[in-house]
Amino acid sequence: MRELHELFDLGVKARSLAYLFLAGAGLGVLTLVFPHSDLVRDRELVILAAVATALSVVMYVLADRLKEWQLHAFLATGTVILTLANYFVEATVLYPVMYTWTALYAFYFFRLPVALAHVALIAVGYGIVMIVIEPDSAVIRWLLAVGTPLIAGLLISRLLMRLRSEGLSAEERARAVQRSEARTRLVLDSAPDAFVAIDPDGLVNSWNAASERLFGWSAAEAIGKPLRSLIFPDHEREAYDERRRILLEAPEAVKVMRVESELQRRDGSVFPAERTISRVRIGPEIVMTAFLRDIGDRRRAEREREQLVREQAARAEAERTTAMVSGMQLLVDAALRHRTLGDILDDLVVRVRSVLDADAATIFLAEDRASLVIAASSGGPAVDERPAPIPFGEYFAGRVALSQEAQLAHNPDPADIADPSMRAMEIDSLIGVPLTAEGEIAGVLTVCATAPHHFREEDLGLLRLAADRVALAISHARVYEREHRIAETLQRSLLPDKLPKLPGLDVEARYLPAAAEAEVGGDWYDVIPLARGGVGLVMGDVAGKGLAAASMVGQLRSALRAYAFENHDPSTVVEQLNRLVWAEADDSQMATLLYAVIDPAESAVRWVNAGHPAPLLVAGEAEPLFLEGGSSVPLGVLPFPTYGEVSARMDPDSTILLYTDGLVERPGEHIDQGMARLAAGVGAAPREPGPLLDHLIGALVPAAGAPDDIALLALRNMPVSDRFSAEFPTQPESLARMRELLRRWLGHAGGSPHEIAEITTACGEAATNAIEHAGVGGPFQVSGVLVEREVEITVQDYGEWRAAREGDQGRGLALMRALMDTVEVTPTPEGTTVRIRRALTG
Amino acid sequence: MTEGLVGLEIEEREDVVVATLTGELDIAGAGATGERIGEAVPTSAQGLVVDMSRLEFIDSSGVAMLFGLARRLGSRRQELRVVAPGGEPVKRVLEIVEFNRAAPIHDDLAAALGTI
Repeated sequence: MRELHELFDLGVKARSLAYLFLAGAGLGVLTLVFPHSDLVRDRELVILAAVATALSVVMYVLADRLKEWQLHAFLATGTVILTLANYFVEATVLYPVMYTWTALYAFYFFRLPVALAHVALIAVGYGIVMIVIEPDSAVIRWLLAVGTPLIAGLLISRLLMRLRSEGLSAEERARAVQRSEARTRLVLDSAPDAFVAIDPDGLVNSWNAASERLFGWSAAEAIGKPLRSLIFPDHEREAYDERRRILLEAPEAVKVMRVESELQRRDGSVFPAERTISRVRIGPEIVMTAFLRDIGDRRRAEREREQLVREQAARAEAERTTAMVSGMQLLVDAALRHRTLGDILDDLVVRVRSVLDADAATIFLAEDRASLVIAASSGGPAVDERPAPIPFGEYFAGRVALSQEAQLAHNPDPADIADPSMRAMEIDSLIGVPLTAEGEIAGVLTVCATAPHHFREEDLGLLRLAADRVALAISHARVYEREHRIAETLQRSLLPDKLPKLPGLDVEARYLPAAAEAEVGGDWYDVIPLARGGVGLVMGDVAGKGLAAASMVGQLRSALRAYAFENHDPSTVVEQLNRLVWAEADDSQMATLLYAVIDPAESAVRWVNAGHPAPLLVAGEAEPLFLEGGSSVPLGVLPFPTYGEVSARMDPDSTILLYTDGLVERPGEHIDQGMARLAAGVGAAPREPGPLLDHLIGALVPAAGAPDDIALLALRNMPVSDRFSAEFPTQPESLARMRELLRRWLGHAGGSPHEIAEITTACGEAATNAIEHAGVGGPFQVSGVLVEREVEITVQDYGEWRAAREGDQGRGLALMRALMDTVEVTPTPEGTTVRIRRALTG
Repeated sequence: MTEGLVGLEIEEREDVVVATLTGELDIAGAGATGERIGEAVPTSAQGLVVDMSRLEFIDSSGVAMLFGLARRLGSRRQELRVVAPGGEPVKRVLEIVEFNRAAPIHDDLAAALGTI
């Protein structure tokens, strides 16, 4: 508890004294203005009032710079002035009041002994005045009676105090100092912290027990050594020098410093420490002391705590992110699993609701950038009503679409909610976010919460995140739908919708799209009639799916047809195609291809295999045989690969099967198993291509559909019988094909080479006529029958037979007549029938 | 050079042009082939030999082509010779249409060239 006078600083005390002086001067002036007797002496009073006022000003101005003794001097001066005023002017009641104020001032602002001294001065002054003016006054007697013992008591007490302090002997003082030092040392030694003191030269002069424990140096070793090299590691020494310099030169204000640095033990090990350094002045000497504490444990604890906090935060963040990401991934997965936009949105709206923990969700899709329609809704009660399109700007959802900003509404008006299903709910809060795809508003996603659920501003961010995923899914689905439509159309146009009718050959194909696959595949096939009755069979598989694959198929198909029609060798054709695929900018373009040319006249098949599964040949009742030879790399893999051509016999009553890997590949199974299954399936199947393919599909393709696209193509070199019938388009190119068929049949019928040549020539004349004169009508038919070594061939067309006339036409008929035994020409309004016969003798 | 299924090689030997036909000559290739051969014979040439010894098939369109060539060369006073070995289907057709009335038919090329 501080004493009263300690509460005020000297400035306050000085200013208060200045006011007191001013008040005194004021009283003097009042006495002049209103004199109570003739005794008032103007001149002296004016001088004293002026002196008091001047002193008042001086004190006020110097208030903050005055020292305590100066203040006492001023107060004493004040007492003297008051006493002089009292002497010159006849005493009034005002003077005791002034003296009282002065005394109160002294008691209020000064220590008791000083205050008493001032009071004594007042008493002396007042007493002198009283004695001079009124020697017999009662006041004087009172003052003497009270003041004398008071002053005497004070003086005696001060004297006694002095005597007491000086009374201790030098020996006693030395013991007292030793006791004090021992006490201090004991206190310091028992202190948990190391205590070190150094003199101004930096030499240790105090080193407690804790210091010995901490640093490993005993007090005897440490004292007198420079602290610098004793406890500071090299890298801390400069900092120590700097700090010591500051402390030595520092103004008085810097007395305590707290520093964290590294210190060094005797064994050279370094540890983090906290130093509390003080500067103490003992007489003329400056001593620096420091408490030192190893804070390694504290640092470790702090680090561990920080680490723990960081780990916990990281784990919480990771868990939150994981939950969010997996939730969002569900949104994206939904887009990938379904085929149509409608399916995706139905799924998404449910997932959005569960990810956001919302009570209901609605997805609106934008139409014509002007209105919204409800595309999917989840959570609300089932409602039959299908609302009309909502123009942008109307209802909550419409405003979100118009502003393209996420919005949050609390307790929305049901009339403001566009989805009738959501309208029926008691909604606490409603969030709407725009779905933006490719920079355009694609729709709006709204979710609502019913009490006790509640959405806050923070939930907007989460919903925006969900909306991004939904918009992405919509965008993907739309692109996908568009692409899928184009690709499907393209692919349909690339697969022959009707296979050509080939005399003596039966060809059938099947195409099965993958069951679960949304995109069209790159499987394709083609059947190309070639010159001289040959036919090209193509089975290919372009890597990849969708539009890119379909357009590659388109290029390959056109190119292959072009090369094939130019009568190039199969190997040349495939090499050209390889160049085409290799030249594609897209490195990933690759295609497998099997190109086989069937030559019925030679009963042969020639093929080139660019990385494709080997075709299967089944001859008569023999075991099915894979045509393994001629296999090379797929198209587009090497710039100049060699595609070798291989051939095999393909007699009448043989069937060749081409297919894509989808038929034989099953997940988790070696392809050899699929091939074995195929061979077994073909062995058990009928030989006619149509029934053969249907049997294979039934036997090899799972009822639920195959995982990949499957294309199948079968061609049968028909067994030659006593009868044949074929149909040809009315074009010059049909003639060669007809002749090939006819030669084979005539060969089978036992004709000699001459007979075959001549009958073929005659038949050609009939067919030429059919081609030249059949109108725009359909194809012409050629049929033959062998009856007891006589062949009868009928050529039927749907045009008008020209009567024999001069020139070529006449020669045709002449040739037929010369070469055949009989020639019958039967013209009808519908067409012309030419029947020619010849007995075989060769 | 091919037109349809017929192959054609044209060779100029001194004053004579030799056109060798291979494959099958029918309506699909006859017209264009006849044009080519006709254009290949310069007015300065003495004549043309159409070698059909390796031709596998001929029909009335091919025959018409030959008659056309015969007319064209006759109007320019140039000789036409046809090579078609006896016993072959082509020779048989030429006999039936009595092509020898338009131009001589020889069994081999040397014989044909010797007559020009």
